[in-house]
Amino acid sequence: MRKLPQDSAHVIAGEYVLGTLRGPARRRFEAMMRADAALTTIVRQWESGLMPLADRVPAVEPPARVWRAIEARIDPYRGAAPATAADSSPSPGKWSGLWSSLAFWRTFGLTAGGRASVLLAGFLYLSTGPRGEPVFVAVLTDPTAPATAPPHLVISMHSPDLLRVRMVRPWANVDTKSLELWVLPTKGQPRSLGTFTNAPGDTMIKITATDPRVQGAYALAVSLEPKGGSPTGQPTGPVVASGSIAPVRRS
Amino acid sequence: MANPEASPARLAELLSRTALGDRKAFAELYESTRSKLFAVSLRIVREPQLAEEVLQDSFVSIWNHASGYAQAKSAPATWMTAIVRNRSLDIVRRTRELADVDDVLAGNLVDEGAAPPAEYQASVDAHQLHECLKELEAEQRQSIALAFFHGLTHSELAAHMRRPLGTVKTHIRRGLLRLRDCLDRTQGAEGGR
Repeated sequence: MRKLPQDSAHVIAGEYVLGTLRGPARRRFEAMMRADAALTTIVRQWESGLMPLADRVPAVEPPARVWRAIEARIDPYRGAAPATAADSSPSPGKWSGLWSSLAFWRTFGLTAGGRASVLLAGFLYLSTGPRGEPVFVAVLTDPTAPATAPPHLVISMHSPDLLRVRMVRPWANVDTKSLELWVLPTKGQPRSLGTFTNAPGDTMIKITATDPRVQGAYALAVSLEPKGGSPTGQPTGPVVASGSIAPVRRS
Repeated sequence: MANPEASPARLAELLSRTALGDRKAFAELYESTRSKLFAVSLRIVREPQLAEEVLQDSFVSIWNHASGYAQAKSAPATWMTAIVRNRSLDIVRRTRELADVDDVLAGNLVDEGAAPPAEYQASVDAHQLHECLKELEAEQRQSIALAFFHGLTHSELAAHMRRPLGTVKTHIRRGLLRLRDCLDRTQGAEGGR
């Protein structure tokens, strides 16, 4: 793909963000952007530069049916429309497919009522260890696999201060990436518990029930990240396994 | 607005959680941004039904691609507004008259005397942008504002402003370059970018 001279790149990116770049030219530019990270950066700069204009637009309340329609499209229990119908963003690859698949999300267990129990993709429960300390076990599976397929991960408290992440069945085709384990607290951003490799065996994570990262936890998720873990400290890749959990108690 | 404006930090948090499939966070994200984003789309597509479609498509896309937010390195409102504007520009099929273009909004962009909408809160970015817009010639500023708010094409701008097509294109091009230089200067001074 040819490179644009600097000023032209800035003007065309500006017109793209402004919206005066239209039709086939707009499509061509989007293709160039996907192939050229520098161009994407210029577009992001224009977005940051121009979007504050939108603050000036007086708000207009959309009808309630819009949210119902959105919910229906991301929740297979409420509607049949495919979730990806409107996705124009490029998202090739198996995991992106999984990321946006309805079957995957409905198993997350974060939906209302008793739905979570219908498809048990992963579960985690608390019990009490020999000395009364909390013990939890999570079984994380790939929800697109048949119900009889063995789980990918079994996570348990190995001892009061060691969490054992046992890879039972590695994922295919993720050799060059890291898997990262996240805690979803009821308040605040996801918290990383660390990364582990996509190979059979155990990874030990030093953690106690009083660790701030697990306070208020209500779900666990595993995302696919660049080698070494998320560069941003927040999940950037697709979630390949997840499960809701009971709160981790203080011992 | 029916809902309080959420802070950028709160929106970023909600997006992170949405990336992990947190439906509650996603619902709050919608609550916090829907009326602004709906208004932005409505100005471009003009028909409420189309704007509803845009909002719906955009939020399904945000749900599916919330993890992409972390890589965009922009403010959450910027990232979401860009999605909504792109979708609006994609679906708009314009056969309409341009009579209802809001020249007041476009014209008052840098008029300090004009009362901003009640919920308008001048962020640092917005302040810089408005300062930079002041440096443009009036017609450059007007073309950029009309294109941004109403999604007008070059030829629609030319018709609306009663100027030759080439003149309008030049306004946009020169206006954008001056705007970029000004934004680079002011944001560079703060170590941004």
